[in-house]
Amino acid sequence: MGWQGILNSSGILFAGFVGTVVLSIATIVTGTILGLLVAVLRTAHIRGLGVPLRIYLEVFRGSPLLVQMLFIYFGAAYLGLRFVETFTAALIALTLYEGALISEIFRAGIEAVPKGQREASRSLGLSRVQIERYVILPQTATIVLPPLVGQYIGLVKDTALAAAIGYFELVREGQAIIDRIGMPIEVFAVVSVIYFVICYPMSLFARRLELRTLHP
Amino acid sequence: MFAPWATVLGYWPALLNALWMTATMSVLGFLFAFVLGLVGALSRRSRFRAIRFVAAAYVETIRNTPVLLQVFMIYFALPEAGIRFDAFEAGVAALAINAGAYLTEIIRAGLQAVPRGQLEAARSLGLEPRDILRSVVFPQALRTVYPPVINQFIQLILGSSLVSQIALKEITNVSQTINSQTLLTMPVFTIALVLYLVLSNVTALLADVVARRAFKPPLYPPGRRRRVVFVDPIGQMVKGG
Repeated sequence: MGWQGILNSSGILFAGFVGTVVLSIATIVTGTILGLLVAVLRTAHIRGLGVPLRIYLEVFRGSPLLVQMLFIYFGAAYLGLRFVETFTAALIALTLYEGALISEIFRAGIEAVPKGQREASRSLGLSRVQIERYVILPQTATIVLPPLVGQYIGLVKDTALAAAIGYFELVREGQAIIDRIGMPIEVFAVVSVIYFVICYPMSLFARRLELRTLHP
Repeated sequence: MFAPWATVLGYWPALLNALWMTATMSVLGFLFAFVLGLVGALSRRSRFRAIRFVAAAYVETIRNTPVLLQVFMIYFALPEAGIRFDAFEAGVAALAINAGAYLTEIIRAGLQAVPRGQLEAARSLGLEPRDILRSVVFPQALRTVYPPVINQFIQLILGSSLVSQIALKEITNVSQTINSQTLLTMPVFTIALVLYLVLSNVTALLADVVARRAFKPPLYPPGRRRRVVFVDPIGQMVKGG
């Protein structure tokens, strides 16, 4: 037994790693799209959308992700939506939560673009969509990228909460191994190392991007 | 229509206890976290390489692993090594250790933001190093640090929901119990969300009131209705938070 037990469980750990990576990548895609959409809609000052979007942001930023996830998971069962199993519920909750945080990053980036840019493009006859697509958003890239990568690190760690609703990712598989062979310190340490190996390079990358933005 | 809500609200004594539990755990966790953050920040600026290394390792380990794992580590794993906590102590410890790492970075950035000239001036006036920290550096750093620290406190309150996973009867845990007893998912979790929204917004408002009274000159130009907390993420990033 001992470390041999953990070595024998490496297949389970790998399955957990895949679970974490799949959920993370899926959320990065959906959360970024939602965040971008919300930020563009909010900065475009479309009448009737301001208040609902504001409420969305306040609710999802002002309450815990875990509660949101439990709400969506059990709520879907309550409403009889059978197709919402653990992965879908986790993905929906993570998308709404991270989308709210990411939209604030994009909003700050969009607001940092000088107003004259928008006015100039309008006077050139560009459409609203064209202005966002070709003038505003490309200019936000350097400002938005460092905090965005920072947010993705948080996102990867947040996927651990999906363990609470029974989605099999790293933490959950770690618990499964502990149920079989014990050794919680060693198993959780190994799981921590795997998270660290995923997140630390991202942290270094974020820091480099940040320095580049500060001292171009 | 309202019957399910009435049923859930019938659990008010349990919910009130849970709210109290979340609040005390958060406040205690935050106090310890702040001390840790202060010690961490000073250690990261220490003259000794070993101390700087330990502080950096602490910050990087905590910031690059999930909170849930840290909670499990403290509650389920440490007893194997003979370190035993009850759920409340484990919860407070996990929250403090986690937030302490983020506060270390926030406070460090705040200390760094104090202009060098201030230090040199204080030294040439003949102040003791301890007095320089206390009466010159800290008061100025407090201004930069205040919004992100309050932000971190709110994150800690929301993060305290994770402690439900080690069976501590705080808001999320009690909600899950009521949900499994009544199956009234919508009212149960709506009430839980509202309780957290109240906690986070009341904290934000109080922090705002304190900031308006405590800081002269004010943190933000007068007349501008701006909340102190939920600082824009980029401003915080640039400050190194």
